[in-house]
Amino acid sequence: MAEVTLSGVTVRYGTTTALDALDLHVPDGAFMVLLGPTGAGKTTTLRAVSGLTRPDAGEVRIGGQEVTGLTPAQRNVAMVFQQYSLYPHLTVRENLEFPLKSPLLRTPRDAMAQKVTRVAETLQIAHKLDNKATALSGGEMQRVSIGRALVRDPVAYLMDEPLSSLDAKLRADLRIELKSIQADSGATILYVTHDQIEAMTMATHVGVLDEGRLVQTGTPREIYEDPVSIYAASRLGLPRINILPADLFGTAPPGARSIGLRPEQIRQGEGQDARVTRVERLGDQTRLHLNFRDHDIVTVTDPHTALRRGDVVAIAPHRPFFFAADGARIRA
Amino acid sequence: MVKSTITRAAHATPEPVAARVRGLSDRAIAWIFVAPTLFLLLAVNIFPLIWTIRLSFTNYRVNRPNRDIEWIGLRNYERILTDADVWQTMQATAHFLIWTIVLQVLIGFALAWLINSKFRSSNFWTTVIVLPMMLSPAVVGNFWTFLYQPQIGLFNHAVAFFTGVDPASFSMIGDVHLAPWAIVIADTWMWTPFVMLICLAGLRSIPASIYEAAECDRASKWRQFWTITVPMVLPFLMLAVLFRGIENFKMFDLVVQLTGGGPGNTTTLTSIDLKREAFERWRTGYASAYAVILFVTVFGLASIYVKALNKVKER
Repeated sequence: MAEVTLSGVTVRYGTTTALDALDLHVPDGAFMVLLGPTGAGKTTTLRAVSGLTRPDAGEVRIGGQEVTGLTPAQRNVAMVFQQYSLYPHLTVRENLEFPLKSPLLRTPRDAMAQKVTRVAETLQIAHKLDNKATALSGGEMQRVSIGRALVRDPVAYLMDEPLSSLDAKLRADLRIELKSIQADSGATILYVTHDQIEAMTMATHVGVLDEGRLVQTGTPREIYEDPVSIYAASRLGLPRINILPADLFGTAPPGARSIGLRPEQIRQGEGQDARVTRVERLGDQTRLHLNFRDHDIVTVTDPHTALRRGDVVAIAPHRPFFFAADGARIRA
Repeated sequence: MVKSTITRAAHATPEPVAARVRGLSDRAIAWIFVAPTLFLLLAVNIFPLIWTIRLSFTNYRVNRPNRDIEWIGLRNYERILTDADVWQTMQATAHFLIWTIVLQVLIGFALAWLINSKFRSSNFWTTVIVLPMMLSPAVVGNFWTFLYQPQIGLFNHAVAFFTGVDPASFSMIGDVHLAPWAIVIADTWMWTPFVMLICLAGLRSIPASIYEAAECDRASKWRQFWTITVPMVLPFLMLAVLFRGIENFKMFDLVVQLTGGGPGNTTTLTSIDLKREAFERWRTGYASAYAVILFVTVFGLASIYVKALNKVKER
């Protein structure tokens, strides 16, 4: 396993700039999750690390070694594709064996069978080994695609939304499984997701991307509790952070344009009155939609709350974030 | 009362028509709609086939309509299958068929591979390559006779340029050994683009992400070619071979224009021989038996082949 470093990596597709002088450091053994909306450059970052996309500028280093000009095979990274990319005319077993049959590895037959069986069991596809890859459901294809990466011992795993088409139960299982595989093997993983639970539970590091640039890196807690901008703050947290005019609750620090309130930054039962517009009971939590001086606020309350639509509840900000006009955080 | 479209249509039908249609069952109406097509199919396909089979057991000659028709049983079939000349034409056909398919598959696939690598102006070259296919076979046959001219032919001069032999020293069409290759080359020139187009469709159907996955799985280009490209293009390629095989089994126009079946009968393919028996020697019964034999052969081979094709598709 090895650390991965991108310095000043720029990738252009025609006139659009996918990565804009991106600097990113993934420490050895880190589980780094890349966050950002569609088009932020997450997949392009993976492709630049894997070697599928050659950067127009900048350099990529894996394990301290410059690999910018090398092919994916020479870099020895494993990639899980969002669109599965299975070999359609091969069986599940043959798909899983495929990377092991590389002449660069020369895996003995027994070792190969052993690895394939183990990975298939981990991913709960052992009973499908002799099926054709095309005769699988979407979720099964995605697991085979993950398995094809896991049978190898690459220097780094690159995963592009690998759990996106699985059902909730399987997703929860595999989240734990992937995390424990990473913890046991000390693998370096670069992981792209839209799912914030995946980001919060699996990541040791989170990188927030915006239009091909890295906005913030840190542990999931750091990003959550100490975001550098509205953009970074909006990437994590369910329900999303409430962004409101800075002076809505009273005085604001000079230069502040907006105030950011996560549910836990809203104290209920003190301060000024807000009207309940909707109560969403999700089981383990209840979401409260409030209207405060013509602004909508979403927060969380006691799961067994007696509040109903039309009720009035007092709210007050508690250690809120303040942001300047350009979205940057203003620290007190 | 709101009237439905059907009731309104029924009311709008003129009384004489309505009276005739009334009382017909749905099934009867269905038959009325299908009957014209069915009649045409029987008239132009099924009836001639049965009639041909019937004639193949007689000594009927269409140029002597007043002669009594004699039933001679399997004698026509016996004579065809023991005739050395017929076997000679079968051999010529097999030679033509096998070599055109081999060459067209190899060259067609290679061209498709090149075009698919998407160099600049690849669209222009696709159009250029496809042009021969759009010409009439008779025209192609005719102008290849000029290309093969020993004195002025471009083909002979090209060969002379690359090998140094005297261009007038050989005649592609006149030589017994070269003539079978002359028709193979002309047909390959004309129909390779067809195989190329189908291969191109196959190549373009392979998603780029599969190659990227293989690239990450550290498969060499060579292995990618044999484990991804070939298996995924194979069903397309086999379809192209089926089309070319059936077409070339009944090849007539191009070869007649080019060599007329000569020299001797070295390039007399079965369909040319058949046409001579039927419409030059007027041995209608004999030719019918000949046609039946060819039909059974093509049909049998094609059925076996389609079975194999379906197996490949299922893989």
